[in-house]
Amino acid sequence: MPKHKKSRVGIKLDMTPLVDVAFLLLTFFMLTTQFKPPEEVSVDIPASHSAIKLPEADVMLVTVNKEGKIYLGIDSPRMMERLFGEANRLKNAVQVDKNQLGNLLIQARISNPKLRTVLKGDKNSPYGPVEDVLDVFQKARITRFNMVTDLEKG
Amino acid sequence: MASVETGAPRSHSKGKKKKKRRVGVRVDMTPMVDVAMLLLTFFMLTTVFSRPQTMELNLPPDSDTKVEVAMSNLLTLIVNPDGKVYWNKGTDQMAIMPFVELRKFMLEQSRANPKLITVVKVDRDGKYLSLVDVLDEFNLANVTRFSLAPVNDADKKNMAKAKS
Repeated sequence: MPKHKKSRVGIKLDMTPLVDVAFLLLTFFMLTTQFKPPEEVSVDIPASHSAIKLPEADVMLVTVNKEGKIYLGIDSPRMMERLFGEANRLKNAVQVDKNQLGNLLIQARISNPKLRTVLKGDKNSPYGPVEDVLDVFQKARITRFNMVTDLEKG
Repeated sequence: MASVETGAPRSHSKGKKKKKRRVGVRVDMTPMVDVAMLLLTFFMLTTVFSRPQTMELNLPPDSDTKVEVAMSNLLTLIVNPDGKVYWNKGTDQMAIMPFVELRKFMLEQSRANPKLITVVKVDRDGKYLSLVDVLDEFNLANVTRFSLAPVNDADKKNMAKAKS
């Protein structure tokens, strides 16, 4: 048996450009990603065929969870502080009563008229609280709003 | 690796040829590249899926701005807690239809009468999902003129009398 097979040369691929590109993309994505803040409320979103994207900023999110509890969240900490006090500054949703909701929505829209109203309901949430929320929207003259849905295929 | 050569210089021990074996510092890049690729895929996937889809709704304003609608142009859809769809036009008798037929039905109705206005009523004990499903079918059938209303007692009576 020949002892030295050392001289055999395998296929050598120069990986440097690949790694360069990979790192470039990595840094790009790392810098551009905005992490979703930890969710205060967990919601199972219903599916629809609508493909409109959620607006990126100035969003006022009304969440109705599985038990029918209503939460309100606004994407700027300053607004959260103004509406709910210092303690809730960094929360992204605070539970509210349906009777307070109207006032809070109006206050929020006075301080930032650009706010878009978004309703995020759980698939299995009873319709009652949602109806109350829609009623409040109507009373607060919010006639245009978005409902968060998942994209359904087919 | 570079230091120890066990069975190495056999016949030619002049010392000149040994220099060939000198190996530079070699770092194995594989794990680093692995991690980089892993993170890359992670970030790529999270960025793409971060913004959820929404459905846009335009509802008529508060009830103090009444809109006059001829009874013949009014279609009422009521979704009961079981997800069954009851419908009637104007003051006709209620009829039941399974949810799967809703899209075809709405397409036919809006083609037959483009001025049709639909009122959607979902039972308070129903699911939020039924509302989304109905509105989604409306979107697909290009029905844009609709409003939401609560189910009242008269509706409940009509539903009880509905023909199947």
